[in-house]
Amino acid sequence: MSLSVAEKSYLYDSLSAFPAIRPDGRKPYQFRPIEISTDFLPNSNGSSRIIASDGSECIVSVKSKVIDHTIDNDDLIKVEVDIAGQRDDSAVVESINSLLSKVLKPNADTLDTSKLQLTKKYSFKLYVDVLVLSSYSNPISLISFAIYSALSTTTLPKLVSGFDDLEVEELPTFHDYDLVNLELKSPLVFLLALVGDNLLIDPASNEYEVANNGLIVTWCNGKVTGPIRTISLNNFYSKGFDASLLGKGIKLVEEHANDVLQALES
Amino acid sequence: MSEVISVVKRRGGFQYPSIVDETNDIDTSDEDIEMEDVEKPAGDKKTDAAEGEIVTPGELVTDDPIWMRGHGTYFLDNMTYSSVAGTISRVNRLLSVIPLRGRYSPETGDHVIGRITEVGNKRWKVDIDGKQNAVLMLGSVNLPGGILRRKSESDELQMRSFLKEGDLLNAEVQSLFQDGSASLHTRSLKYGKLRNGLFLQVPSSLIIRSKNHTHNLPGNVTVLLGVNGYIWLRKTSQMDQARDLPPGGSTGGYPSNSGPTGAKSLNPSSNMSITRLEEESSWQIYSDENDPTITNSIRQTISRYANVIRALAYCEIGITQERIVSAYEASMAYPNIGSLIERDVMESIGNDVINGEKMRGNGGN
Amino acid sequence: MSRFELYSPEGLRLDGRRWNELRRFECSINTHAHASDGSSYLEQGNNKIVTLVKGPQEPILRSQLDATKASLNITVNITKFSKMERSKSSHKNERRVLEMQTALVRTFEKNVMLHLYPRTLIDIEIHVLQQDGGILGSLINSITLALIDSGIAMYDYVSAISIGLYDTTPLLDVNTLEENAMSTVTLGVIGKSEKLSLLSVEDKIPLDRLESVLAIGIAGAHRVRELMDNELRKHAAHRVAKSSAK
Repeated sequence: MSLSVAEKSYLYDSLSAFPAIRPDGRKPYQFRPIEISTDFLPNSNGSSRIIASDGSECIVSVKSKVIDHTIDNDDLIKVEVDIAGQRDDSAVVESINSLLSKVLKPNADTLDTSKLQLTKKYSFKLYVDVLVLSSYSNPISLISFAIYSALSTTTLPKLVSGFDDLEVEELPTFHDYDLVNLELKSPLVFLLALVGDNLLIDPASNEYEVANNGLIVTWCNGKVTGPIRTISLNNFYSKGFDASLLGKGIKLVEEHANDVLQALES
Repeated sequence: MSEVISVVKRRGGFQYPSIVDETNDIDTSDEDIEMEDVEKPAGDKKTDAAEGEIVTPGELVTDDPIWMRGHGTYFLDNMTYSSVAGTISRVNRLLSVIPLRGRYSPETGDHVIGRITEVGNKRWKVDIDGKQNAVLMLGSVNLPGGILRRKSESDELQMRSFLKEGDLLNAEVQSLFQDGSASLHTRSLKYGKLRNGLFLQVPSSLIIRSKNHTHNLPGNVTVLLGVNGYIWLRKTSQMDQARDLPPGGSTGGYPSNSGPTGAKSLNPSSNMSITRLEEESSWQIYSDENDPTITNSIRQTISRYANVIRALAYCEIGITQERIVSAYEASMAYPNIGSLIERDVMESIGNDVINGEKMRGNGGN
Repeated sequence: MSRFELYSPEGLRLDGRRWNELRRFECSINTHAHASDGSSYLEQGNNKIVTLVKGPQEPILRSQLDATKASLNITVNITKFSKMERSKSSHKNERRVLEMQTALVRTFEKNVMLHLYPRTLIDIEIHVLQQDGGILGSLINSITLALIDSGIAMYDYVSAISIGLYDTTPLLDVNTLEENAMSTVTLGVIGKSEKLSLLSVEDKIPLDRLESVLAIGIAGAHRVRELMDNELRKHAAHRVAKSSAK
C-alpha cells in the first residue's frame, strides 16, 4: 500500500504522540481480533486456520512421518511457508521460512521434541506446512499463532510395539484407531512497530508505513527466547532506534504474552 | 475476555458463520441421480420475474420482448436471461438485475475519493476501486495561479509537484468513457488533495448517493464519504465550516449554489470575490503539509469515528451522516476507543443505531 | 486392490455409495470478503477447495491488457499437504497443473461475458487444501460459485462431475481410489442444458459406453448445479432480508 505524504505524516504524528494514538484506537499492547478454526483437514494430523479482522488469513497443516533417527539426523520439525502470489524463492518467503525454522528449532527449554521419539530407533518427523492466503502486513505473528493452534490439536497414532527396538529388530506398530495428543507447545512470535519512542504490538498495514523500525520477539513457556530481530517495515521512515526500546519491547511482550496464550488456549 | 486479544475459536470445521444457519440441513449424502432426471424439461417456470425477486445466472427473466434489457441481463432467441445473481429491478421499461456484490461502477456526478497510481502524459491515473482506474486530465484541475489561467507546457513538466503517486484526492466524476471508466475533475475548491486526516475503506454498496457527501460532525471532525467506498476523516477546516454557515453579506442559501467554486473561502467573514478565489487556488492546495494545530483529542475523535464507521460497515448498515453521528453517540458508552474493534461491540453499536431509528420512526430505509 | 471390492455384486462402492450417488456436496460463497471480490469454499467429498476471484481490475502487466475484453487468469495451487501422503515437491509447475489451468481458462472464457470488462484483468486463485479424486470437476464448480459471488456477468452456471467406468457400469462422482483404478471422464455442463463446455477423457474408454457415461454425468452435473443454486439463493435471500431490514 502506498500512502500519501500527508497521510503518513498524520499517522506518524499520531503514533509518536504520548500516549500513542493508533488509527483504530487500540492500546499499544492490543491485538486485532482473530478467529481460529482447528481440525478441519482429516488427511493431516493437525490443522488450523486463522483469520485476522483485516482479512489476513493463513492455514497450517501438520503431517507426520515415521523416520529412523539414527540415519536421518535432521530436525524433527520441518516448516515450509507458501505465500499466495509470491514465488517460493522470493525474499519475503525465504526470510519468513528461515525465521520460522529458527523459531521451531527443537530445544530442550522451549520446544521439547523428545515427545516425538517413538523408540530407540524411530521418531515421528513433523511437517508443518503454512499457506498464507492473504496478508496485508508481515504475517509472522499470525503464522506463529496458527502453528501453535495446529500443534496443540495435533494427534498422532498410538504406539503399541515396544520402546527398545535396538536389540530386537522390529518396525514400530500402531494402534488401529487410538490417537494420542501431541501437546507440543510451540513458541509465539510477536511483531512490534517502533514509532518515535512508542512500541506498538500487531501493527496494522498503515502503521507499518510510518514505523521507524520493527522488532520481532519470540516467546515460549513464560519467557522471551530467541530469535529476537529487528525488521525494517518500510523504506521511508526506517532508522535506528534507542537501545532502551529493545528492553521496553521485551518487557511489553513479557507482560502480555500470557494473555495471548490463554486466549489461544481457551 | 482478555484486553490484549480476542479469539473466536471453532473446532472440527471449516465453517463460515453467515452460512451456518437453521436451513443448512439438506442431507446431501444420499444424492440419488436417476436417469429419468435427464428427460425433465428445463425452464418450466413462469415467464415474468417480479420486482425484487432473486434470480441467478442463466435464469429466464422474461420472454416478453417489450422490455429494454439493462445491466445484468442478456438476450437470446427473444428471451431475456439473468447474467448475475441478484434482484430484479424494473424502472419504466428498463429491466435489469442488480448483483448482490460487485465493484463500484462510476456514474457522472459521483463524488469519489481516489488515490493517484500513475502520472502520465497530461493526465493522472487514479485508483477509485472500480474495475478500471479513473483518469484525471491536467485540464480538469485547478492550478496555482488561479482557475482562469491557461495551462502551459511548464505545468505538464511539473505535474508531479501537484499530485504524485500515493496522493489522495476527492473529485467529481465528470464523464464516462465508452468502456465505462471515469474521467474526473477537481475544478472546485471543495475537491482536491486531501490532508489533515485518516483514510478508510468500506464496501461501496454501503454509501448511498446523495446531494452532499461532505459532512461536519460533532467534535470538530469532517467526513468525506466517497461514493466509491473510500472515506476521508479530517479535522474540520475553516473552509468546511464556511460550507455549513452561509457567510455574512452573501445572499444566503447553500454556498455551492452560488458558483462553480463550491466552497467559498477560508475565512467565512470575508467577502467572496474572484481574486480571493485565485489566491486560494495557490500552491497551498497542493501542499503535503498538515495543519500543525491538530490536537491529540481531535486525533482520538478521528480514530473513534473511523471505528464507528467500520462498525456500521461490519453490520452492513448503509452509511449516512445521521448514522455516523448516532453510532458515535452510542460509542460513547465505551470510553476505550480500542474496544470498538471487537465484534460484539460493533454489533451492539449497529443495533443501537437501527433501534434508535426505529424509535424515532424513520427506520426502514 | 482387487476389482471385486471397487463395486460389489450388491451394487455398493468402496465408500458405500451406489453407482449413481454423489458424494457429500457442501458449498458457501462470500467466504473471503476482505481478500477478494468473490470467493467460495467447496467440499465435494473430501475435496476441500478455497477460491478467490480478484477483479475485474486494472491489469498488473501491460501484456494482460486487451482493449476488447477482460483477460482471464487462473492459478491452481495444489498444496503439498492436500493428499494423504505429503508430497515432497511443489505442484506449482507440474505439467498436470498447467494443463488443468489451461482447460479451466478455456472453459470459463466462453462462459464469462469478458467483453463487458475491456482493459481489465480477472484473476482467479484456487487453493486445494485437500483432494480425493475428481479434482478438475470440483475446481470448475468452485470457480462458478466464486465468479457468481463476484457479480461478474456470465451466461450460465458451469457444473462439472467425474464419472468412472467400471467394466460396463458408470460410477458417478469418483474418489481417488476409483479414479486410480479405472478410466474416468470429466465433463462440464452449461446450466440446465445438455451442452458440454468441457469433456476430458484421459484414458481409454470404449466408445459404445460413452453415451451412458455422458447421460449419467449430465444428470449428475445438473444435480450439482441445483445444489449450488440452492446455496446461492439462500445466501441471496439472507442478504436481501438483511439489507431490507435496515
